[in-house]
Amino acid sequence: MSPSTLSPIAFPDVALPESARRLRTEVRAFLDEEHARGTVLGRPDSWLAGWDPDFSRRLAERGWVGMALPTEYGGAGRGFLERYVVIEELLAAGAPVSAHWVSDRQAGPSILQHGTEEQRRFFLPRIAAGQCFFSIGMSEKNSGSDLASVATRAERTADGWRLTGTKMWTGGAHVNDYAIVLARTDEAEDKHAGLSQFVVDLRAPGVRIEPIHLMSGEHRFNAVHLEGVDVPDGMLLGRPGDGWKQVTGELAFERSGPERYLSTFPLLASLLRELEQRPATAEQLTQVGILTARLHSIRRLSLGVAAALDAGASPDIQAALVKDLGTRLEGTLTDTVRSILPTPADPHATPGTHPELLAFAQLHSPGYTLRGGTNEILRGIITRGLEQHR
Amino acid sequence: MNTHTIDTGAPVVPADAYDTATFYADADSIATVTNTTASDTVALPSPDAATAELLAAVKEAGRRAVPGPFAETALVARPLLHRAHLPVPDGPLSYAIAPELTVRYAHPAASAVGSAGCSGEDNTLLVTGALRRVPWARAATAVVVLATAPFGPVLFTLTPDQAALTPGANLAGEPRDDLHLAALEIPASHVRRISPELLDEARLRAALARSALIAGAAERCVDLTVAHTTARTQFGRPLSRFQAVKQEEARLIEEAALVRAAVQAAAVPLDTGGTAAYFAIAAAKTQASASAAEIARIAHQLHGAIGITQLNPLHLATTRLWSWRDEDGDETYWAPRLARPLTATTLWPTLTTTP
Ligand SMILES: Cc1cc2nc3c(=O)[nH]c(=O)nc-3n(C[C@H](O)[C@H](O)[C@H](O)COP(=O)(O)OP(=O)(O)OC[C@H]3O[C@@H](n4cnc5c(N)ncnc54)[C@H](O)[C@@H]3O)c2cc1C
Repeated sequence: MSPSTLSPIAFPDVALPESARRLRTEVRAFLDEEHARGTVLGRPDSWLAGWDPDFSRRLAERGWVGMALPTEYGGAGRGFLERYVVIEELLAAGAPVSAHWVSDRQAGPSILQHGTEEQRRFFLPRIAAGQCFFSIGMSEKNSGSDLASVATRAERTADGWRLTGTKMWTGGAHVNDYAIVLARTDEAEDKHAGLSQFVVDLRAPGVRIEPIHLMSGEHRFNAVHLEGVDVPDGMLLGRPGDGWKQVTGELAFERSGPERYLSTFPLLASLLRELEQRPATAEQLTQVGILTARLHSIRRLSLGVAAALDAGASPDIQAALVKDLGTRLEGTLTDTVRSILPTPADPHATPGTHPELLAFAQLHSPGYTLRGGTNEILRGIITRGLEQHR
Repeated sequence: MNTHTIDTGAPVVPADAYDTATFYADADSIATVTNTTASDTVALPSPDAATAELLAAVKEAGRRAVPGPFAETALVARPLLHRAHLPVPDGPLSYAIAPELTVRYAHPAASAVGSAGCSGEDNTLLVTGALRRVPWARAATAVVVLATAPFGPVLFTLTPDQAALTPGANLAGEPRDDLHLAALEIPASHVRRISPELLDEARLRAALARSALIAGAAERCVDLTVAHTTARTQFGRPLSRFQAVKQEEARLIEEAALVRAAVQAAAVPLDTGGTAAYFAIAAAKTQASASAAEIARIAHQLHGAIGITQLNPLHLATTRLWSWRDEDGDETYWAPRLARPLTATTLWPTLTTTP
């Protein structure tokens, strides 16, 4: 019998190194301190909505921002699995990590890999110190899933580039320092060619940031109008024309992390707190058990991708698989918590109470399966990947 | 009988013949299947193979729908006999966890408190009652039974011919036989008093073995479905080119990968034991049982009519999924047991215990 169709996407089973276990204990002690300070509030979706630059800096003082960056650039030179442990602890606790989120997950690794020595020396130590926050400037009004169709243009000038266009849904552009912008530098036949990435100073002249309010009323993302913004040559990231390759090369990192299944975990913890007040029924326990089993199983898959990344592989299909499973669970968890303990969601209830957390998770829920590549697109990647391996 | 070869290279009866007891009554043929090392078959790993290796082999047996008590032998009966310091017989084995059985010590001395303050040494038992739906009982050279005797749990072995056997089968036609024991005497040499922990371990081993089989059958659904949607053409294109098909197929692949991960994650905890083993295995069986419906549903939907016939091997996997999810504890058995010890403060530490 031929080998299993699933075998090309085998996930290694992971045993975390001893250093990671020690690290977990340290992070928990830190979180206890922060909890006492009132900064860690057990909120869902804290990597999107928990903006607290002072918290980010205290985390950086411990060496837990940009921790996988080499020490010569101010990082902690820790492994990818160690970083995994730190961020899963932070997310499970609902800690406010959104300020440094993109610099830590994307901008740092990307500048390390594609940046010039000068860019590395400038940005990386600041990222690792929690003093330089990034946004992602990829999507546009007419370029969502079809990202390669972006219309923002970068034209050559005497000493750099001039950027014109509008980026949409740019998370944190109103509070962060820089955005990595994907723009067209060449009108090539193949739309995947001719794209390039730039680091754009969000306070530069010609950058106009217009708030876009979420249905909850929150201001998290923006339209970023680039009205002839002059970007010096030194802020081109990687080589001109390599933008698509650079963007897609990072996808496994963005898609498989704990933020893809833990966004609503604090709500489950909140439910258990509520259930401790009264005897739980068998049906309630069954549903909690089913959710927990799924959470556990998805976490094991996600750790498998982390281990593969740590070993230098590029597990793109596995990452897409984890993200579809994980983000669907984030929504299912919210719905199931509601049915286990019927509670009217109340956005105006005291912050941190179960009805308020439920309201927050509910209002954020449609985003889980959209951001970072929609689940429909991910499923296309999975089926295509397995067919090609057959 | 119309036997032919599917995948294992071993004789497999078509589904309509699965309930004809004759094939499975032949213990030797099952032994051949389970012990063979031919290249296109799953070899029964040596009894001292590592747990991860046993799990991988059992998953493969599930994928190939191996017609014999492969999982029961490798992952449940043999290790339990070994742990109870009983000899491990050759050939296919099965097990029954039967606390409801009436068990007495045959000789008064065994039940009395002796001069040294402990009970007597003669462990000969008299056993009455029924062992329900024992997997592959008719084909097993021995059945390992875990029951409760007057001084605590015992483990003993019997051979199927010592009992009155009522044949039965699951949805896949796999034998699930009742064994009726009427004051059956089990000689002391076949009996061991065991710790309650070993009784718990038996439940966990059975659940994990069944989960690994489910993971394998789930993979078979992926194999067959991906092959089918790439080969089958409608509207001038392979089915796999249709968005609606891709969307469903990906969910199937994901669900199968999820079950596989849950099973894999239980290998280390099974060896270390304790609460970590309980959590990992309860989670694995909960997940495997809970995923079975979705996996079978999608595989059938994407196969169309041919999938529900014996012209196509899909039923070998899906009928097993529908049966195995119920056996050795379904999700409504394991999920509440998994959840009961969890509180708001222990939930996360529990999830991150291993590793
Ligand atoms: C909370 C949140 C935060 C975000 N933050 C940022 C950010 O910081 N920076 C940034 O650049 N972008 C950000 N985005 C944008 C995000 O990347 C896009 O929403 C995403 O890529 C989808 O694009 P779209 O919204 O235009 O939907 P569309 O691409 O228009 O898709 C709409 C629907 O059609 C489906 N669809 C489209 N094409 C196909 C196809 N080929 N096959 C099957 N189905 C298809 C999609 O799956 C979806 O269901 C954010 C989005 C959200 C929700």
